[in-house]
Amino acid sequence: MLFPTTHFLFFFLVVAGVVAALRHRFTAKKAVLVVASYYFYAQWDWRFCFLLGFSTALSYGAGLMIGASGDRARRKLVLGVAVGLHLALLGVFKYFDFFVLSANEMARSLGLAHELPFIEILLPVGISFFTFHGISYLTDVYRGDVELCRNPLDMALYMSFFPQLVAGPIVRAAYFLPQLARPSTEPIPITPALLLILGGLFKKVVIANYLATGLVDPVFAAPTSYGGPDLLLATYAYAVQIYCDFSAYSDMAIALAALLGFRFPANFNQPYRAQRLREFWQRWHISLSTWLRDYLYKPLGGNRHGRWKTYRNLMLTMLLGGLWHGAAWKFIAWGALHGGGLAVERMLEPWLGRRAQSPVAKVVATLLVFHFVCLAWIFFRAEDFAVARLFIAGLGSGWGEGLHQAGPFMLVLIAIGLAGQFTPDALFERIAAAFERTPAWGLGAAAGIVVAVINALGPEGVAPFIYFRF
Amino acid sequence: MVALEREISELAAPAISADAIPLRLRRTGGTPRQVLAMTVVGTIVLALFASRDLASWTERLGDSPAVMATQGVAAEWDQRMAAMGLTRPHEALRDALRRLLDWQWGAQP
Repeated sequence: MLFPTTHFLFFFLVVAGVVAALRHRFTAKKAVLVVASYYFYAQWDWRFCFLLGFSTALSYGAGLMIGASGDRARRKLVLGVAVGLHLALLGVFKYFDFFVLSANEMARSLGLAHELPFIEILLPVGISFFTFHGISYLTDVYRGDVELCRNPLDMALYMSFFPQLVAGPIVRAAYFLPQLARPSTEPIPITPALLLILGGLFKKVVIANYLATGLVDPVFAAPTSYGGPDLLLATYAYAVQIYCDFSAYSDMAIALAALLGFRFPANFNQPYRAQRLREFWQRWHISLSTWLRDYLYKPLGGNRHGRWKTYRNLMLTMLLGGLWHGAAWKFIAWGALHGGGLAVERMLEPWLGRRAQSPVAKVVATLLVFHFVCLAWIFFRAEDFAVARLFIAGLGSGWGEGLHQAGPFMLVLIAIGLAGQFTPDALFERIAAAFERTPAWGLGAAAGIVVAVINALGPEGVAPFIYFRF
Repeated sequence: MVALEREISELAAPAISADAIPLRLRRTGGTPRQVLAMTVVGTIVLALFASRDLASWTERLGDSPAVMATQGVAAEWDQRMAAMGLTRPHEALRDALRRLLDWQWGAQP
């Protein structure tokens, strides 16, 4: 069940109706949201619900054991076993095929006849996200950063809450569990939530979908059939597509949670305006980058043990971040590029710091970071490593042929997508404030008309969000 | 040493873990009932102006007797909306978009 569908609209209508009817019965509201979340998840495959239930029970039980024990060694053992089980689940469902294929390829190249049996395992949607929820909860309980969750209903809702269940943002236990302790006294921010939903719909249904079908998919499917200009614009188009696709999902998740009375953290903040690669990662998929920072980079030693170990830690963190996105060498290459880029940037920091103050230097820095990120996106999007190499080689040729696939409308969509990166920070607040006094029925009618327009502009059906497969 | 300390504190500082909807915008708002009212009104407006989608969605639901009855209702509803001219904006927008998609270099959109 995708957010921008009629099915989801009716689902949300029922959920909003029940939540409104329950009024101040907070426990009942949480129970309803757990049932709704499992129904939502079952729409992909009902068998996945058992996996989600197991992951929840594991986090809850191990959390209680860590909380009950005063012995540090025992607490560490429980944490290790529970995190290991979480990672084993993720490994089996997400990486088993990758490792078998890689091992068999290596065996063939070494001339070995024996091959490991290949079993095609269905990837449960959202497994990376709820696994990270579980791991961060247990680690935070162990570190004493979050209060132990004794209420199984709260743990079930934290792990399964449907707005963030399948594609994030990764909401930390320390952020979300306190919201389940008592009902919020804040009013529901209806206008900002509606704006996020409408903006998200436009980004996904119009910009991301048309850039994908009109430019990105055909060019990445056969890069050798196109000249440099088409390849370059397809790269820009993918940068815009993946941003519009993923940030749209995050925006809608944040808005749906807000309409149900919960707060979510920001997940994107105009990433392509970054002047440093490090800044890019403070603006792109913020919930994942901060997760990797707190649960991987820092435990590895972070920047506390000298320059070279810092570079190593950056590289390892980004390599694993790449692998998190998918079981393929192209994602590892993507992570390696970002890790290497971050390390080089840190190496050059004293030199860069002196030169990056002028407006021209800022523009140059933004362009450099954007193009480096685009280069990495080629590996991320290409079918495999070989296609990525052909694509990059093709960028240097065919510049006299003109544009064949990238029509004017595609350029308009790329321009709109990139222009959105440079709007003033206060624009969203100003628009939201302008509609602050509009009554709920008026907002509903206006939103209905805007959704009808976006729906008419969009293609038949909606393609799944890119991050569902991660 | 000072530089290292600065680096550590920079890294330790959260990038942006603030609420996605800033506090300023959460001071005013509505109740769950108003959320429901807004959703109901939005759905009614969509049923009026996006009846084409309602019909095509029911067609994808399957072919059980209950679903087929729903498909009949949705198709009839769409026909009524078309008779009232409410599907015209939808058609006009789709035509405009088709022209934009076919727009080639050197031609008018």
